Amino acid sequence: MMSRVPLAVILVGLVAGACGVTASPSPTGASGRPSGSPSSPPASEAPTGGGGGTLVVAISADPGHLNPAITTSGATHTAAELIFNGLVGLDENLEPVPELAESWTIDNDGAQYTFKLRDGVTWHDGTPFTSADVKFTFEEVLLKLHARTRSSVGPVLDGIDTPDAQTVVFRFKQPYAPLLRQLDVTEAPILPKHIYQGSDPAKNPANAAPVGTGPFAFESYTPDSEIRLKRNDTYWAPALPKLDEVVMRVIPESGSQVIALEAGEVDWIWGVPGPDEARLDADPEVELLRTDRNPGGSNCIMTMSFNFDKPILQDVRVRQAIAHAIDRQQIVDKILFGQGRVATAPISSGIGWAHADDIVLPAFDPTAAMAMLDQAGWKAGADGMRIAAGVTGVADGTPLALDFLHFPTFARYGELLRSELGAVGIELTLEPLEPPVFAETVFTKRDFDTNVISYCNGPDPEIGVRRMFDSAQIGPVPFSNAAGYRDSAVDALFTQAQQTVGNEARGKIYGRIQQTVAAAQPYVWLVETSGVRAYRLPCQGFQPYAQFAEAATCAP
Amino acid sequence: MYDSTPAFALAERVGPLPRATPVASGDLGVRRRRSWAWARTPSAVVGIALTAVVLALAALADVLAPGDPFAPVGPALSAPSSVHLIGTDDLGRDLLSGVIHGIRTSVFVALGVGLIAFPLGVVVGAVAGARGGVVDDVLMRLSEVWQVLPRFFLALMVVALFGPGLDRIVLVLGLTSWALLARIMRAEILSIREREFVDAARALGMSEARILRRHMLPHVMPAAIVFVALLLAQVCLVESSLGFLGLSDPNAISLGYLAAQAQRFLRVAWWMWFFPGVALITIVIGFNLVGDAINDRMRGRL
Amino acid sequence: MNGRYLLRRVVQVPPTVLGILVIAFLLVHLAPGDPILALAGANGDEAYYAEMRAKFGLDRPLPEQLAIFVVNLIRFDLGTSYVQGRPAIDVILERLPSTMLLTVSALAVASVVGVALGLFAAGRANRRSDLTVSILTLGLHATPSFWLAQAAVLVLGLWAGWFPISGMTSARTPPAGLGLVVDVAHHLILPVLVLAATEMAVIARLTRVRLLEELSRDYVRTARAKGVSERRVLWRHALPCALIPVVTVIGGRVGHLVAGAVLVEAVFGWPGIGRLLLTSVQSRDLPIVLGILLVIASTVIVANIVTDLIYVRLDPRIRFG
Repeated sequence: MMSRVPLAVILVGLVAGACGVTASPSPTGASGRPSGSPSSPPASEAPTGGGGGTLVVAISADPGHLNPAITTSGATHTAAELIFNGLVGLDENLEPVPELAESWTIDNDGAQYTFKLRDGVTWHDGTPFTSADVKFTFEEVLLKLHARTRSSVGPVLDGIDTPDAQTVVFRFKQPYAPLLRQLDVTEAPILPKHIYQGSDPAKNPANAAPVGTGPFAFESYTPDSEIRLKRNDTYWAPALPKLDEVVMRVIPESGSQVIALEAGEVDWIWGVPGPDEARLDADPEVELLRTDRNPGGSNCIMTMSFNFDKPILQDVRVRQAIAHAIDRQQIVDKILFGQGRVATAPISSGIGWAHADDIVLPAFDPTAAMAMLDQAGWKAGADGMRIAAGVTGVADGTPLALDFLHFPTFARYGELLRSELGAVGIELTLEPLEPPVFAETVFTKRDFDTNVISYCNGPDPEIGVRRMFDSAQIGPVPFSNAAGYRDSAVDALFTQAQQTVGNEARGKIYGRIQQTVAAAQPYVWLVETSGVRAYRLPCQGFQPYAQFAEAATCAP
Repeated sequence: MYDSTPAFALAERVGPLPRATPVASGDLGVRRRRSWAWARTPSAVVGIALTAVVLALAALADVLAPGDPFAPVGPALSAPSSVHLIGTDDLGRDLLSGVIHGIRTSVFVALGVGLIAFPLGVVVGAVAGARGGVVDDVLMRLSEVWQVLPRFFLALMVVALFGPGLDRIVLVLGLTSWALLARIMRAEILSIREREFVDAARALGMSEARILRRHMLPHVMPAAIVFVALLLAQVCLVESSLGFLGLSDPNAISLGYLAAQAQRFLRVAWWMWFFPGVALITIVIGFNLVGDAINDRMRGRL
Repeated sequence: MNGRYLLRRVVQVPPTVLGILVIAFLLVHLAPGDPILALAGANGDEAYYAEMRAKFGLDRPLPEQLAIFVVNLIRFDLGTSYVQGRPAIDVILERLPSTMLLTVSALAVASVVGVALGLFAAGRANRRSDLTVSILTLGLHATPSFWLAQAAVLVLGLWAGWFPISGMTSARTPPAGLGLVVDVAHHLILPVLVLAATEMAVIARLTRVRLLEELSRDYVRTARAKGVSERRVLWRHALPCALIPVVTVIGGRVGHLVAGAVLVEAVFGWPGIGRLLLTSVQSRDLPIVLGILLVIASTVIVANIVTDLIYVRLDPRIRFG
């Protein structure tokens, strides 16, 4: 999300990483990448690539370190993903395409995955890349330190075998469908074993001077200022990358980033603030790139949660009344400045095969909201605010007053909702909390009535949707089931979907899940947020996600 | 920046070294701003007028700008017009209403801080000055600790760690503002402790406590009042700086919050930046000039 | 006398700093918020977070954590940054030079311009130009620095386009040698102007008042009566005396400058400890927060002591008891 306050901006990377499923520039994309695929670059170009000049990228937060395997922090992933690769990449439809793995087969109904690794890949220091690097990275780093991969893949993984230097086998205890979408550079960047072996990966000096296989190699890092990357001359993709150098420049404030772009100080910014979009669109020097993948994660839905522990919120009519009282189009217009759309189902429309298109979420209708509150026993008092009169579990005379917890960056949501809920007689008190406090208050102490979270669905519902509804994920883990929603039928459906192979079959199961949870309304799915990247000519050839600059060039 | 040395006027008046007691400082307490005599009346008038306007706006906020200042009432980002005199923000909220309620928040915080710091500083300073000895030593060491960490940092830490809220802003600023006042009070008490009228009271057999209350405090009160007036100005600046960093109470609109909102719209809505700042500068200048004026008058009378 | 006074002041420094840090330690550890997110990122499982807590000693009882903190502190070890996994002291020392560049430059600009303005105004006391200066300084002193920073960005950065508005160097062409110095200086101008403005106002007003005071003293009258030129009276007699208190006030404002640097760094994206403090407080990177407090407290204390010494040096009448 773009931010309004400098302080908030500084942390935007962390915030986004904290609530997002896929951290940072988001899943690797591979359209236009010649990874043995049809879309090779034009033959007229030098087969060795290069000559593309220097690209200057604005990033909003200092990464602190450059090891994307030990953290899900958006700041680190944004700055470091160009240096690394995953086994697979994800194309614009979030479908897996070859990256470090050239091909793969799935056996045992989805309980065993065998990857054939690409030949001739070397680390930036010249050491050959082998299956031992993959096994080491998973066993010693990702499954211990990468929060998401550890908690999703870890419990179901039986073991990793390396029958030879070019083959890796993942064995699971049961069929596991989502794996291929969890192997990109965001979820599972591969580290060099020869550098990390025998050390504490969290404290290895290479975290500040990383060695990867990616299109760009590390050159220098000046904390809170800039990161310089140079072209990897021996990159495995032929004729790539074209750029000679990439400079990541820390500019914390989104408004300042836009100004730097206009002034020609930088060539690429990850997010264009809504108010500036029209002006940049009209600028002949600047091109915009619209995408659903934000630097903080992909397919994010801004979601209001209801705490099921609170008696007031246990009545579905109250939850639905609140949903009816919210004008979600206003959020798109006034907060997102058009950079997003009203959510239409619990799963993002960005995951087309899982997104349900036959669901009707409560529309903006204050009259209906007030009628439902009346029915539920919340009568309007003299000042229009509602007071309990015969509500189960609530003493008569209790005012309908709720707190609303949010990151400081999301203050606008609170301000708009407070005034819209106020119009139907519900008093909302805003409590802005920094991410660490928010996580503790909401997920550990469960001390809240309502809140807003950017739940990023990621490339697969198993990654970012299940955690919101799974009754096993209520409790101390941050950004899990905030509502405290429990439905054993829903739990069982999620497990079934996890073990079913094939998008169509899985999509049907997710459709049933969405029908159930939409009716129960543990959340109000507000808006799907999208991002607008901007870049300066003559730079071109970008993709909106992870290896965004792999095929780019700044040569005129 | 906005902390322990309250303002230039104070620095001019109490001298530069509140930490040490200069031996040759006989003239320190009675500095008069002679050269400003010509400007005394006009600047005092301006200061009192500004402060009066500010206080009136704060008191009448609900009458002048009824309704919730957070409520969207018009089109988003519209420039100053006859409907919205100083424009609207990105949610379509009337900026004038926001500024008026923001002034009220500033005044509320300033007065709250004054109510905490004034009695605390006067009592600690007077006791330290009058009793001397170990009590003096302990109290002054204590006030030193409070002064070493600039007020802004403590306020920032507390508010950032414990979450924003008017109550804790007032509390932390109040508790960090008394130390310098205590030192000024102590110095003033010391400077009159051996004066004839005090000696005379002692000769009459009055108790030290009574002498302190009846004879010494009235003499040092002007300095305390001046300090507090200047303190209020500084408190408004600190409070708005916290708001600018996103640490204002989300349920009470403040000028710093409005300035922070403006940051994102600097290029498209200059009014969002301009007017909250002007309001703040008005408040601060008003308090400063009033402080100076009181200083001049009371010093003149002494 | 002065030697003993100095010794006493210096001996008091460690306990004062330690006291402040212990209070700050308790404050940050008792505050709500779990640094675990900064440490590890979101979406892990419970065992994972427990492991990470244990790794940084966050699972131990608070008194034990405090004891470890104090013992390490005495060995100049501030602990390991939760976010960066490096010694906190390294992280802080990396950022310190840019904040020092900013604050020292601002202090220098504020002192020179402030004294010059004060001198100018005092020389034209009660005339129109004097009034202009006093209104200007009154206004600057009342202007919040974030507002001034926004004005500078808008007017000098955007409309005029004279200065870059963010960062410390230009990214595109990394200059070296003299070019680098020029580049940094170019980026330095706006933040320094903003940071110096308030201090400059204070110094100008103080200088003016003190000068007028000195000029009305007997020795000045005597000098004038003896036919010493007005210029000489001003520069050789009045100014040195008037500047004594000014110097000490400048020294006493070091703490304000550092506080101001937080806001200025936030607006201008200056990579200093102010911004580091803000991000670290937000992410509950406690070793960094405490380390920065240590730096600030020590700076203020040292500045106070140095100021006292200068004061004594300049004014032979002063003795500390």
